[in-house]
Amino acid sequence: MATFDLLVNGFSQALTPTNLLFALIGSILGTLVGVLPGIGPTSGIAILLPLTSFLPPTPAIIMLAAIYYGAMYGGSTTAILVNIPGELSSVVTTLDGYQMARQGRAGPALAIAAISSFVAGTMGIIGLTFFAPPLAEVALQIGPPEYFGLVILALSVVVSLSGKSLLKGFASAAFGAFVALIGIDLTSGQKRFTLGNTELVGGVDFIAVIIGLFAIAEVLRNIEEATPSIYSAPLKSLMPKLKELWECTGAMLRATGVGFFLGILPGCTPGAISFIAYDLEKRVSKNKDQFGKGAIQGVAAPEGANNATTSGGFVPLLALGIPPTPALAVLLSGFMIYGLQPGPLLFEKQPQFVWAVIASMYIGNVMLLILNLPLVGLWAKMVAVPYYIMGPMILLFSFIGAFSVRNNFFDVWTALFFGFLGYLMDKVKVPTTPMVLSLILIPMLESALRQSLSMAAGSPVLLFTRPLTLIFLIAGVLMTIFSLYARYRKPKIKEHLLGDKEEAK
Amino acid sequence: MKKSLWLFSFFVLILAILPCPAQSAPAYPTKPIEMIIGFGPGGAADVTARLVAGYVSKKWGQPINVINMPGASGIIGTRHTLTAKADGYTLMMDNHAVSAMLAASQIDLPFKWENRTVIARVTVDPVFYLVKQDSPWKDLKEVAENIRKNPKVFRWGVAGVTAVGAFAMPQFLEVNNLPFDSLNRVVFKSGAEVVTALAGGHIDLAAQQYSEATGLILAKKVRGLAVVNPERLPGLPDVPPAKEVGYPNLNVYGWQGVSGPPKLPPEVVDKWAKSLEEACKDPAFLEQAAKIYKVLAYLGPKEFWEFMQEEYKRYLPLAIKMGIRK
Repeated sequence: MATFDLLVNGFSQALTPTNLLFALIGSILGTLVGVLPGIGPTSGIAILLPLTSFLPPTPAIIMLAAIYYGAMYGGSTTAILVNIPGELSSVVTTLDGYQMARQGRAGPALAIAAISSFVAGTMGIIGLTFFAPPLAEVALQIGPPEYFGLVILALSVVVSLSGKSLLKGFASAAFGAFVALIGIDLTSGQKRFTLGNTELVGGVDFIAVIIGLFAIAEVLRNIEEATPSIYSAPLKSLMPKLKELWECTGAMLRATGVGFFLGILPGCTPGAISFIAYDLEKRVSKNKDQFGKGAIQGVAAPEGANNATTSGGFVPLLALGIPPTPALAVLLSGFMIYGLQPGPLLFEKQPQFVWAVIASMYIGNVMLLILNLPLVGLWAKMVAVPYYIMGPMILLFSFIGAFSVRNNFFDVWTALFFGFLGYLMDKVKVPTTPMVLSLILIPMLESALRQSLSMAAGSPVLLFTRPLTLIFLIAGVLMTIFSLYARYRKPKIKEHLLGDKEEAK
Repeated sequence: MKKSLWLFSFFVLILAILPCPAQSAPAYPTKPIEMIIGFGPGGAADVTARLVAGYVSKKWGQPINVINMPGASGIIGTRHTLTAKADGYTLMMDNHAVSAMLAASQIDLPFKWENRTVIARVTVDPVFYLVKQDSPWKDLKEVAENIRKNPKVFRWGVAGVTAVGAFAMPQFLEVNNLPFDSLNRVVFKSGAEVVTALAGGHIDLAAQQYSEATGLILAKKVRGLAVVNPERLPGLPDVPPAKEVGYPNLNVYGWQGVSGPPKLPPEVVDKWAKSLEEACKDPAFLEQAAKIYKVLAYLGPKEFWEFMQEEYKRYLPLAIKMGIRK
């Protein structure tokens, strides 16, 4: 109950005009940072960090935190409208979000993204409010062998994302793994597949790859058709129907669970988490065939998950001072500038501050919902812009986005290369999603495996003796078998459904 | 009317251009300066760069833009800086990981590491030798004894090949006459992951920087057995300096300083060195640095360069013996 009193006290702090104002500024900036591809919350917070030199700690941290969770609201916008994921965590949103936009349902897609973000984000904060210290303890128990199990579990998704041909799906995933390995090996310092090129030593930037595969490839496909507008259907209603909202509640709740708990773990990237949430939704859904064709749950799940992930990320940050994502690492340095060291002591010594920040996150999420819903109408009108304007604009933003992640021109070439590759892959009907998934997961898999092996002097014993790892591994194997079984048990139906999907494209 | 307007414009234009040659060239800097960092936002180098950029730009009235160019353990950003025009408008936040440690661990760098104009070292990042809070080990001597008795049993965590830990832990083994393979080396992506794994008991030992270690030491999740620094650090009075616990020869630590491309004009070097020296004496700057767990340790251009070369001489044999020089 003490927690509740402290929270009420926090609200009285967070509701002062100054703190409200900075929560609002943070929310607006966060949305903006989220919309712009390439500029993520990490650089957004870093750019605004100097402001902390003249602001008192509470409003400053409130604002910086709002940029972080606000970015998750904005990230879906370009993903849905033009197939450019604004953030890493919005990659999955493009799968169904963009299809919805093409069917004239951009409004409901954007709205459900905002609503799902709000619901999952807020529930995540409730988790943060009441269970942060014990959950942080649990997070510490998750070591490399557990991550290995978790990644294997996540990789079982490849089977269900493979589309018509399992072979093509696996080829795509294998190519993704190859691209992920380019660069310096973290463990030995060995250069891999760099062909003596310095730029390649730095590895292939993930954002550049997805901008290429999704946005640029899509532009190439569209100009081929020479249609005035890529959006086949006229813009229908802006808001989702009540029935659709109702259908998404389950998705939002599951996304909250997945996002929040995986978000607590340092080392689980938001990109991977939203994939897992999407796959879970696809598995439990009665209309599996709708996924990838504009299923509203396919938007609600990843968007909810990435917001719950941000709430979850504050658990180890506030309770132990461990930043689970790069953006939170920058936020942590913001705390430190004020001499505030997150951890159990912060809760004891600065309860006013901690609870004001937590309370502001509830308020910030409400603000973001109010901010984003009216914007839906504005954004959705973008679909009316003729393609001869839209196409070049998309390319321009793609290049800026690819460049600005590492301020390196090489990444623009990377985006262009993967744009053409994505176009070709589409021509020969090789799905790109498995490739993206393995780009996210293979580096995690490799380091978790090598860490687990070196923990036991090279023996794989830890992978089979830690209970949680075993559970994850068994679940992964079972899910793979189940997916394969479903695939071959009813080949007729599957073929029929997938055939439909192909035509819809 | 139109003609007179033309004449007037022409006159104004002449006026605008004329005085220029008469004046002496304006003093550096006349435009914004780019400060490159070979790492992403939020790391030790980035935090220091933003601190320094804030201070110096306020002093000079010119913006200093901090630009993150992460990739290849800092090689990409460093190469960009060292091959830039030597006019003082492209500089970088230099650190241990993109100078001596990088040169010691990489055979074929795309640039000559010594081809840089070093300006000044600003901060150091002391290294802590850490164990889990409830570890039975009370001091470093005990750690060494246990490793000797049980080789290849204990695990140490490190954040990559050019991290402080990658040199600090082998040095610890070396001064104890222990073979390099008597510990299992577990490599993580970042210092935050290393200390988290230590707090969770997935590894037994780590050597990490002040900023990475302090949070979990204060949270009583990990314990500092010694710190590589002449004296105890503010906020952590319980961690003794290495020399007090019988290890005067442990001397691997992190640092940050400003460098630029080769052959920087002397006036640029002087101006920066002077301003950074002043900063290091400014109590307000000191206070800001202490908050982000940095110890101010100014070294001027000459001393800074000598320090870097001396580091390289120490790290090269260590990297070769460890087998991380690739």
